[in-house]
Amino acid sequence: MNTFLTIKHIGKTFQPDKEVEVVALRDINLDIERGAFVVLSGPSGSGKTTLLNIIGGLDDATAGEVILDGKLLTGLSEVELSGIRRDHIGFVFQAYNLIPVLTVKENIEYIMKLQGRSQQECDVRCLEVTQKLDIDMLLGKLPNQLSGGQQQRVAVARAVAATPKLILADEPTANLDSKTAESLMNLMQRLNEEEGVTIIFSSHDPLVIAKAKHSIILKDGKVIADERTG
Amino acid sequence: MFRLTCRVAWASLVRRRTRSIVVVMMIAVSLWGLFTMEGIYGGMTEQMINSAIRSDSGHISIFAEGYRLDPDLSRQVNNVAKIESQLVHAPHVSSYVKRLKQDGLVATAHYSRGVSIIGVNLLAEEKHGKLQGYIFKGEFSFGRKDRGAIIGFKLARKLHVRIGSKIILSAQDSHGEVSSVSLRVTGVLKTYNMALDENAVFLAEKKARELLAVEEGVSQLAIILHNDSQVAELQQKLRSLFPSLEILRWDELYPALLQSRVMMDGFNLIASLLVFCVAALGIFGVMLVSVLERLREFGIMLAIGTRFSQIRNIVFVESFFLGFIGCGFGSLFGAGTLYFFKVKGLDLSLFSDAFDEFGMDAVIYAIIRPSYFITAFVAVSFATFLSVLIPLRVLKKSKPIEAINQV
Repeated sequence: MNTFLTIKHIGKTFQPDKEVEVVALRDINLDIERGAFVVLSGPSGSGKTTLLNIIGGLDDATAGEVILDGKLLTGLSEVELSGIRRDHIGFVFQAYNLIPVLTVKENIEYIMKLQGRSQQECDVRCLEVTQKLDIDMLLGKLPNQLSGGQQQRVAVARAVAATPKLILADEPTANLDSKTAESLMNLMQRLNEEEGVTIIFSSHDPLVIAKAKHSIILKDGKVIADERTG
Repeated sequence: MFRLTCRVAWASLVRRRTRSIVVVMMIAVSLWGLFTMEGIYGGMTEQMINSAIRSDSGHISIFAEGYRLDPDLSRQVNNVAKIESQLVHAPHVSSYVKRLKQDGLVATAHYSRGVSIIGVNLLAEEKHGKLQGYIFKGEFSFGRKDRGAIIGFKLARKLHVRIGSKIILSAQDSHGEVSSVSLRVTGVLKTYNMALDENAVFLAEKKARELLAVEEGVSQLAIILHNDSQVAELQQKLRSLFPSLEILRWDELYPALLQSRVMMDGFNLIASLLVFCVAALGIFGVMLVSVLERLREFGIMLAIGTRFSQIRNIVFVESFFLGFIGCGFGSLFGAGTLYFFKVKGLDLSLFSDAFDEFGMDAVIYAIIRPSYFITAFVAVSFATFLSVLIPLRVLKKSKPIEAINQV
């Protein structure tokens, strides 16, 4: 097995008022293959989003280690983590989280610009990705001029355009109708196959779960199932 | 990266138009008010100084040693030709005049007063300090056979004389005898130099020499230079050439005017500080709200790989743009207003009596100094820089995921 992501004994405890502890994750151990199409599922509060945030370096684990493509993420500085997020990880959030003051094109090009790519390179890649996602006619629009489905496609385009090794998608279909959700999932599947990107979803949407090649089920912060179907 | 920073900062300004316009207007209006105030007050002080220079002291005045303490006819500048030969060849000198002065008494049929008798050459005074510009009533002339006198407007009021009124001028001559001359008032001057407006009686130099029995020598040589930055240099040169003479700058002769300039600069500085405090607080408030309401946006940026330092730069550039544009508009409005008042003058004739009391012209001509704009630009840049430090501190304390989850 070509392991891309290793999660060892990850635990996370929140201390909202220092007296009451909320244990979100308990001793999570996972191995994820390169190019996998993974779904983290489970009921609300099971720790899906927390685990994704820790994998993506957006939050610290209380215990354990995350190793991404052979590099230990645990204990890295915020500057080092932001470099890894910029160059290796793409995020797709439930609430889209596009930068409101930038146009669709500017949003998609933003990470590529951070990576130091030339304008010509950004233009070519932006066109390529937006055509694939069928949003090339929206390039000049601002996020608030788009529907939910369109915004989510732009969020996917932003995540994909920077050619990350890993895409983390937190309930990407939660705010979409079933038709748009299916179309988005087909698209993500295609990107996974064509671009070879490892994709990890968190979702309790049966449609998303059905498409997964690797399904992980969480409950009360623990892994209760870890199955590979593909 | 700098281009991207500027692009994101600019996009944020353009797409939050109302907020940007409010901040720009706030800076622009504050600066506009400040420039107008500085230019008007500066103009007021410079007019008083200019009047003193034109009508009396010049940039530099030359007196005989001891004359200023005891202005007696025995203390005259006698080596005038030698001094003139130096002044004629000095490149900095624009013009100079010679004056013969003596304290005396002016009398009409009903009133009499102690005055300063000043014998002058009107043609030279016209070229030198454009004295004819101060004529308030009558004409800039001593009439036929030099039997006229030009007097200060306050003196004319006190003596109740009009153009054509007869006055008798008496003074001690160089032999110690009392000598008199009868003259008619041909002109009344309003120089805004209180000493002259209250006490001066100008008469033809020739007539003054007859009255005071002085054939040669002068009481004062007043020199005007092309550029007032060369005053100290020329003063030093003349002092080394004529060590027995008193050679004084205008600010040594009128220290009160220099003090009023210093006072006005101090007043402007305090006003500037107040305006900048108000502007800085305004910018601070707007930037604080702006950063706090955008925590989520910045959180997204952090999450997708932007470093905190890059976001800090975006906020700095954004606030700099606001400050710069505000400064630009403020400078434009301020310069336009000052130019208008420089050309047309600010007419406060409604309060002319009060201005007369303080020896000031009721029409104030503003001045425009580059220093106003440079200082304002530096101060606004500094204020905008300071105003974003606290909002950025708030942002730095937030983790990306916390910032994203802000509602």
